Amino acid sequence: MTTEFVTAIKTNEIPVGGVKAIDVRGSRIAVANVGGTFYAFDDACTHEQCSLAEEGDLVDTTLTCTCHGSEFDVRTGKVLAPPATLPVKAYRTRVEGDALQIEV
Amino acid sequence: MARSYVIVGASLAGATAAITLREEGTDGTVTLIGAEQGLPYERPPLSKAYLRGEVPFDKALVRPGAFYPEHGIETVFGARATHIDPSARFVELEDHRRMPFDALLIATGGRNRRVSIPGGALEGIYGLRTVQDADRIRKEMVAGRRVVVVGMGFIGSEVAASLRQKGLDVVAIDPSKTPLFRVLGEAVGQTIADLHHAHGVRTIFGDTVAAFEGTQRVKCVVTKAGLRLECDFVVVGIGIEPAVDMLRGSAIHVDNGVVVDEYCQTNVSGIYAAGDVANHYHPVFDRRIRVEHWQNAIKQGAAAARNMLGKRVPYDEVHWFWSDQYDATLHYAGFHTKWEELVVRGRLHSGSYLACYVNDGRIDAVVGLNRAKDVRRVMPFIKSRRKVDLAQLRDEGVDLRSLRASL
Repeated sequence: MTTEFVTAIKTNEIPVGGVKAIDVRGSRIAVANVGGTFYAFDDACTHEQCSLAEEGDLVDTTLTCTCHGSEFDVRTGKVLAPPATLPVKAYRTRVEGDALQIEV
Repeated sequence: MARSYVIVGASLAGATAAITLREEGTDGTVTLIGAEQGLPYERPPLSKAYLRGEVPFDKALVRPGAFYPEHGIETVFGARATHIDPSARFVELEDHRRMPFDALLIATGGRNRRVSIPGGALEGIYGLRTVQDADRIRKEMVAGRRVVVVGMGFIGSEVAASLRQKGLDVVAIDPSKTPLFRVLGEAVGQTIADLHHAHGVRTIFGDTVAAFEGTQRVKCVVTKAGLRLECDFVVVGIGIEPAVDMLRGSAIHVDNGVVVDEYCQTNVSGIYAAGDVANHYHPVFDRRIRVEHWQNAIKQGAAAARNMLGKRVPYDEVHWFWSDQYDATLHYAGFHTKWEELVVRGRLHSGSYLACYVNDGRIDAVVGLNRAKDVRRVMPFIKSRRKVDLAQLRDEGVDLRSLRASL
């Protein structure tokens, strides 16, 4: 399957330390702004499908789903703490001017 | 030399420990022994989505069945451990099999507390601990039927909510002044009482059950104050007691559960305990704590496994749990038994608040109604034991992540 970078949102719409969910080509993707670097990953927690943008608490690059305490590394989507056992899918991002693009 | 690791209790704590032993790369044998038939599962859905028939049982499994053989975890289910010999290093099962171990984890959890009440043996009176218990209650759950819920702790409160959601006529009775009174106190407990009232539960507080009446099956609950509550069935949720029968007469120290240090180890070297059964020394609170939380089962199960492998990692998690009732979610973190001050952020009775149990300027515990993120953000202050500026804590305008320490 081929992928391409799609403009998803303006970079200034996600404050530093913030997480925002966006619909990109049918996928609900969360974007976290960690000190000016943007990381994109599936918005649904792999445990009980809570929205990570809504329920997630971001500290540095660790996002805690506050529904049930799962922790993810926003850079890779990897699980850092249970109950989630599966990673969230991570997407590559790039900034073009003031646009944030996500590879889908 | 490969060691043998035996885990008694195929609970969430026990299964998590077995999984962790493998994740940490042990080449020893790992044996998971459970009294219940079938695969280890998580209990939270039993009072909520599973009880209401909204999710299949498979969703509650800790891991699918194939996981255990694939990861070299030997399982012995449907076999209750009856005796542990700490010096000869074996566990005896009810079929007299002996399972030798080098390191042992006790993760037997608890069993429902029973009180002897006249008529208590009548049909139609249920406890809730296992999936079989949940299935028995499900069979009774027909809209319009009348149920009495005895005990408004977390299980009673969640069951009452689920039964109302399924259209049953619910009366709840508890000797305290409010639901969840023992843990959360009157002010917060009253907000939960209001939640149940708003959903049509009739509550009776400050009263207890004197007798169950009926011929073969319960038909009426009679209270000490003399109320007669006609009903079709009863669910009793009055807490659990740690399952420690197999330790009777052994050298393993038991006091409100199996007593362990911050490394999850008992007074006998190489024997550990985790989960509901473990009365553990908690370094943050400098005291022993026994909790019955789902998160503790996972985290302490994993911590015990690492310590069984000799890693010497103290278990110092801030305890945490959640409770779903109707469309509200309560989160709690920390540990408290009493408090000098209840510091509230937002308004109680508003449907969304945070309440901190404060002693000597330090937050010992926090409860939030529909405030999951705020509860999470208070947890570092609980763990650090730092005094915080209570005026800021109260002030919704102050970001909890930037709370100042008080002078």
